[in-house]
Amino acid sequence: MTESGQPARTTRLRLQTDSEAMERDLSRLVLTLVELVRQLVERQCVRRMEQQDLSDEQIEVLGLTLMRLEEAMTEVCDRFGLSPSDLNLDLGPLGTLLPED
Amino acid sequence: MITVTDTGTYLYAVTRDTPPPCPEGLLGVAGTRVRTIANAGLLAYVSTVPLEQFGAEPLRKSMEDLDWLGETAGAHHHVVEVVAEHLPTAPVRLVTVYSGDEQIRDLLSRRHDDFMEVLTRIADREEWGVKAYVDLTAPSPATAPGPPGSGGPGTAYLRRRQTSLRGREEAWRQAAARAEQIHDTLSSFAVASRRHRAQDPQLSGRKELMILNGAYLVERDRREEFARVVEELRGQGVDVELTGPWAPYSFTDLADSRPEVLGDA
Repeated sequence: MTESGQPARTTRLRLQTDSEAMERDLSRLVLTLVELVRQLVERQCVRRMEQQDLSDEQIEVLGLTLMRLEEAMTEVCDRFGLSPSDLNLDLGPLGTLLPED
Repeated sequence: MITVTDTGTYLYAVTRDTPPPCPEGLLGVAGTRVRTIANAGLLAYVSTVPLEQFGAEPLRKSMEDLDWLGETAGAHHHVVEVVAEHLPTAPVRLVTVYSGDEQIRDLLSRRHDDFMEVLTRIADREEWGVKAYVDLTAPSPATAPGPPGSGGPGTAYLRRRQTSLRGREEAWRQAAARAEQIHDTLSSFAVASRRHRAQDPQLSGRKELMILNGAYLVERDRREEFARVVEELRGQGVDVELTGPWAPYSFTDLADSRPEVLGDA
């Protein structure tokens, strides 16, 4: 394997095999899935809160947990140099995985 | 008996068979010469095309070649435009290829009444395209933040999320209602109207959400009035884009104008 100084910006069709790029892509994929689950849980909590399905204590605990999780996500994303829009997958005709805002 | 030919007849448009005849030196797709076929009081604008490019098999590949597609669409549209300058014209969909002139003659006589009806409907009328966009990322008028009241930071966080989720849903609902209203208003001015699928941002080249992609058939002498109505519909966070006049592509679809024979089946 050649060790070129700078990470060459190759065309999209070529497989990126250098370990740095692979690590970045893999973490991006993992983070995307985590973010998807986080948003789903968040929506579910909001729904149950609206149905008055949760006690005040439960709401507070869930809210705190979700808030911390969001903070943690932001922090990890920062570390990998990813922005929120990087965590979205284009599913073609189905639109994007996460809602775009 | 099946004769093996290596050319097909490409159909662009149909008009009534009245002078003026085919504009001279008009070139169509792949640089072919445009000629006319008359039958049953109708005139078909066609050209002879090589099946190695326009047969069923090659077309499947060519259609994915955006350069080829762009060129072909441009040439097709040019022919339709030129013809439509003089006469009410029923344009035919892109790459409609018949195996020979005989089939075009057959089409003209078999679908004579349908063509006549279409040509009557579009006489002295033009197609206008109207696209409406809304920017859903724009901050919606702040929903009341709800009672600050009970609960700690966790509760406050969930309430904030609730507001933003509901806000987005509300924005979608409003956008859909707005599209409906715009379409209704324009439809009442038009002789006929059709809604096409809204394009996604990649195709439209705009990052706002397209909420309406409509086509309207409008009397030629009401075009200013129509443009004014479109102008008035703009605003309140909605941008409206008017394009045209177009040859009435959206209003000349015959129930089955699909070519029966493509290539060497």
